[in-house]
Amino acid sequence: MAFDQAHDASDEALLVAYGNGDREAAQLLTARLAPRVLGYAARMLGGDRAEAEDVTQEAMLRLWKIAPEWRQGEAKVTTWLFRVASNLCTDRLRKRRSVDIDSVAEPEDDAPGAVAGLIEADRARALEGALAQLPDRQREAVVLRHLEGLTNPEIAEAMEISVEAVESLTARGKRTLAGLLSGRREELGYGSD
Amino acid sequence: MARIDDGARDDAMLDEFFAAGQAEAPVPSSDLLARIMADADGEAEARAPVVSSGRRRRGWVAGLAAVIGGWPAFAGMATAAAAGVWIGAAQPDAVTTLTGGALPVTSTDYELEEIVPAYAAYVIYQEAMSQ
Repeated sequence: MAFDQAHDASDEALLVAYGNGDREAAQLLTARLAPRVLGYAARMLGGDRAEAEDVTQEAMLRLWKIAPEWRQGEAKVTTWLFRVASNLCTDRLRKRRSVDIDSVAEPEDDAPGAVAGLIEADRARALEGALAQLPDRQREAVVLRHLEGLTNPEIAEAMEISVEAVESLTARGKRTLAGLLSGRREELGYGSD
Repeated sequence: MARIDDGARDDAMLDEFFAAGQAEAPVPSSDLLARIMADADGEAEARAPVVSSGRRRRGWVAGLAAVIGGWPAFAGMATAAAAGVWIGAAQPDAVTTLTGGALPVTSTDYELEEIVPAYAAYVIYQEAMSQ
């Protein structure tokens, strides 16, 4: 596949090209998809970078394996990949709980209270901490919708639930998040009103 | 009304947090990208057809069978050989079946020993053994 052509190609076209032996297609898919899966996995796993990387590698490996049998037009590559990543994260979260509930890192409380001048990274960390307090399914729906930018039907496919269930999970998740974060608005430089 | 205002304010606040979250998304390390590509290469290699190392050598009989059209061809050859032996042994006076007698009858003066000299030795041997 020619370079310019490959850059414009859809994820699905690249996956089929890789299935036919095109290595460059795999490189482009990795560049496109690995950051998204890593970001998703990191948020789902409470910021554990090493585990998030393992999930990303495993999810991508499953993508490589399915490439030759990929049925075009049946599912979006991103949706399929998020579903795989979601299942991998769920397995790891379950194992964590069954091993030792105390070993789960508490969300960081970065409360040094330096009100003015808090940068975006602090807000992102505060969001991460609040997300970690959501139930898994709510967190998954909120992350896919508001951080990964998937549509509700895509999330429904990735989570294997109805669109209505996605809307409900997202709404409840956002309500909880707002409750957790509103107390820190001032601290994070958003003003008091 | 106050609830609506609260909801809108919460949404606006969350949007800002989400924007910050998107901006601070983790970036894959070069090591992770290399591992992912190594997996991609490994899978591609595993799928590639094996060229010669796993190919089985076959014997000359199987080779011959492949050339003449597979094992069923041997059955045809065996039938033809048996028919040939029978025709030779029976020594019909003349073969007129195909011509329907339209052609003159061919000479039958030839003995088998004349056509296959080794047959004479075989006959002598048989006679010697039967005595």
